[in-house]
Amino acid sequence: MSPGRPLRVLLAKLGLDSHTIGVTVIARALRDAGMEVIYSGLKQTPEMVVATAIQEGADVIGVSSLSAAHMHHIPRVVELLREEDAADTLVIAGGVIPEEDVRELQRRGVARVFTMGTETGAIVAYLKDWWESR
Amino acid sequence: MPASPMPEAKPDLEALRRAQADWQRETLDPALARDGERKDAFTSQALRWPTERLYTPLDLEAIGFDYLRDSGFPGQWPYTRGNDPNGYRSDLWTMTQVTGFGTGEEWAKRARYMLDQGLSGLIIEYDLPTTNGLDSDHPLAAGEVGRAGTAIDTLADMEAALDFDFTGLRHLTSVCNGPQPVNLAMILAALEKKGVDPSSFTLQMPNAILIEYTCVGRYLFPPEHGLRIATDVIEYTIRNHPRWVPIAVVSAQLYAARANPVQELAFSFAIAMQYLDSVLARGFHVDEVAPYFSFITGVDMDFLEAIGKLRAYRKLWPRLLRERYRACRPESLRLNLMASPGTMSLTLQQPQNNIARLAIQMLACVLGGGGRTMTTPLHDEAHALPSEEAIAVGAAIQHIVAHETGAADTVDPLAGSYAVEVMTRRIEDAVMAEIENIDAMGGALAAIQQGYFQRELAREQVERNREIEEGRRVLVGVNHRVREERDRGIELFRLDPESERRQIARLARVRGERDPGKVEDALERVRDAAERGENLMPAVLDAVKVYTSQGEICDALREVFGSYTPDSLTTGV
Repeated sequence: MSPGRPLRVLLAKLGLDSHTIGVTVIARALRDAGMEVIYSGLKQTPEMVVATAIQEGADVIGVSSLSAAHMHHIPRVVELLREEDAADTLVIAGGVIPEEDVRELQRRGVARVFTMGTETGAIVAYLKDWWESR
Repeated sequence: MPASPMPEAKPDLEALRRAQADWQRETLDPALARDGERKDAFTSQALRWPTERLYTPLDLEAIGFDYLRDSGFPGQWPYTRGNDPNGYRSDLWTMTQVTGFGTGEEWAKRARYMLDQGLSGLIIEYDLPTTNGLDSDHPLAAGEVGRAGTAIDTLADMEAALDFDFTGLRHLTSVCNGPQPVNLAMILAALEKKGVDPSSFTLQMPNAILIEYTCVGRYLFPPEHGLRIATDVIEYTIRNHPRWVPIAVVSAQLYAARANPVQELAFSFAIAMQYLDSVLARGFHVDEVAPYFSFITGVDMDFLEAIGKLRAYRKLWPRLLRERYRACRPESLRLNLMASPGTMSLTLQQPQNNIARLAIQMLACVLGGGGRTMTTPLHDEAHALPSEEAIAVGAAIQHIVAHETGAADTVDPLAGSYAVEVMTRRIEDAVMAEIENIDAMGGALAAIQQGYFQRELAREQVERNREIEEGRRVLVGVNHRVREERDRGIELFRLDPESERRQIARLARVRGERDPGKVEDALERVRDAAERGENLMPAVLDAVKVYTSQGEICDALREVFGSYTPDSLTTGV
């Protein structure tokens, strides 16, 4: 039951984390799978990312995090989406995130966390399944 | 031996050619018919160049190899065999390690510990707020203070960071590219307070802002202003602290962003020439400036690529300086290179395997003549900040290669290896072609502004990931001999969670105790110097001494220069 148009994904970097290899690789894999990808650029606040997601009509926000600040920023994205009445936007995360933080992020509304070493195909498949179930 | 390639093969090469044809027919072909080969194609790891089964003098003949022109003698043109006539036989390299976390006090304690491990050089890394020119209490800094490096807001922090016994310290690298003028000013002011003669050790400042725009992302201002600030640091240091090294092209960052050796060298040299042009425009002669340039590189696991790359580095930089800038002093032509095993080869999986990787890469660094200063990353680096155990193992790797292998006892010991000489030459030729390509774009600054470097690196990142996912590139523990790991069995360093809170409290205390009028005046002078195009260093030094924070100084500069936000063309994503 896919909504009949390509999935739109906003890939985001929050705070000062400037590792971009992961987000570059994922952007390419999602585009190759027919999805529309928007990239936030670096040094974004949760407010900036949520504003971009709403403005661009993103179905998914994918946060890439390879620094220590993921617990400061990612749950805030989920909160802001609720406040902006955009809670149907799927939030996923990926990068270097310790196991105990993965559980906490999921408890606070992040749908799925893909840790280091995940194959791009697994992320594509997850998003396709989610989109088809909409 | 004549300097030009022979028009026709010499008789002994003819005999060799016949012998090789006989060998192939009588010995090799039957073996291949029986055993086949374990791969369809053999290629080098990063460059993906075909790797031949066998290299012989015929391959040297094919590239027109000439001993005196291509290799020569160490300490002389063309410097392929090294800058030091006696290699590592007089002195081993300076052994350093990277460290940086927490507050200045925590760094000072770790610095002394590292010197006590037998290291004579240190590299201080700063946290992301510091390297982005933001104070610890900035909203974007949350969760990052003291994490990826040491937090420095004001001179008080630098005083704390340098408050340790300097005995045994020969070399300090301070990695703070974007706000490097502020960082240099804080180090100078802290040394003055401590009463240490700045010339008692070598301070190396990467000051490598053009690399930040290319791949690292810790930029503050638009690229042309970044270049101007970097030039201020170079000019000020050469005029006032001639023993220090005010510019290092951190090629290792390009390597970490997956640049292959040809891209790494070509982009690095193009960037170095951009700095050089900018400094020469301040009225220096090339031979006054060139000796200050340094390069910091990382080597990867492919042994021939690693050694070929290091030899090509030493050979190409003097060639560019002589051919393009008419440099002639030997001090200009000897490339100041600092090599280290590359962090990008380290895996999160089975971290103890990284000790083997580091040892192999360290050996390649020494066999390739990686420079007068070398460093080892640490085997748990993919997990967290290095533990003390990992630091001790990292130092031991350098000592094992230095004392147990004999690799440091012969100068450039792999020279003359048919495979090594062919690889060196191939890298050299490909780098020169790519530099000409960058020239045609208008040089490094223009290539960055057009997003060329960024897109080239993005392409490599995507391709390399595909190779790993498809199993075309084997990584032990990742896609080969994978095993379940419950406990990775390494001791991880845990940062004190109170560190961030203490740092922000100290910043507030310093702000409360200083003279606000003096700070305002100092910031006005910084803005003024920025607008007039004067060298920023004197005004920044004055501002630092009255405890103006680095975020405040950088904000004043942002008012003049503006901030930088790359567009979709220049992010490479």
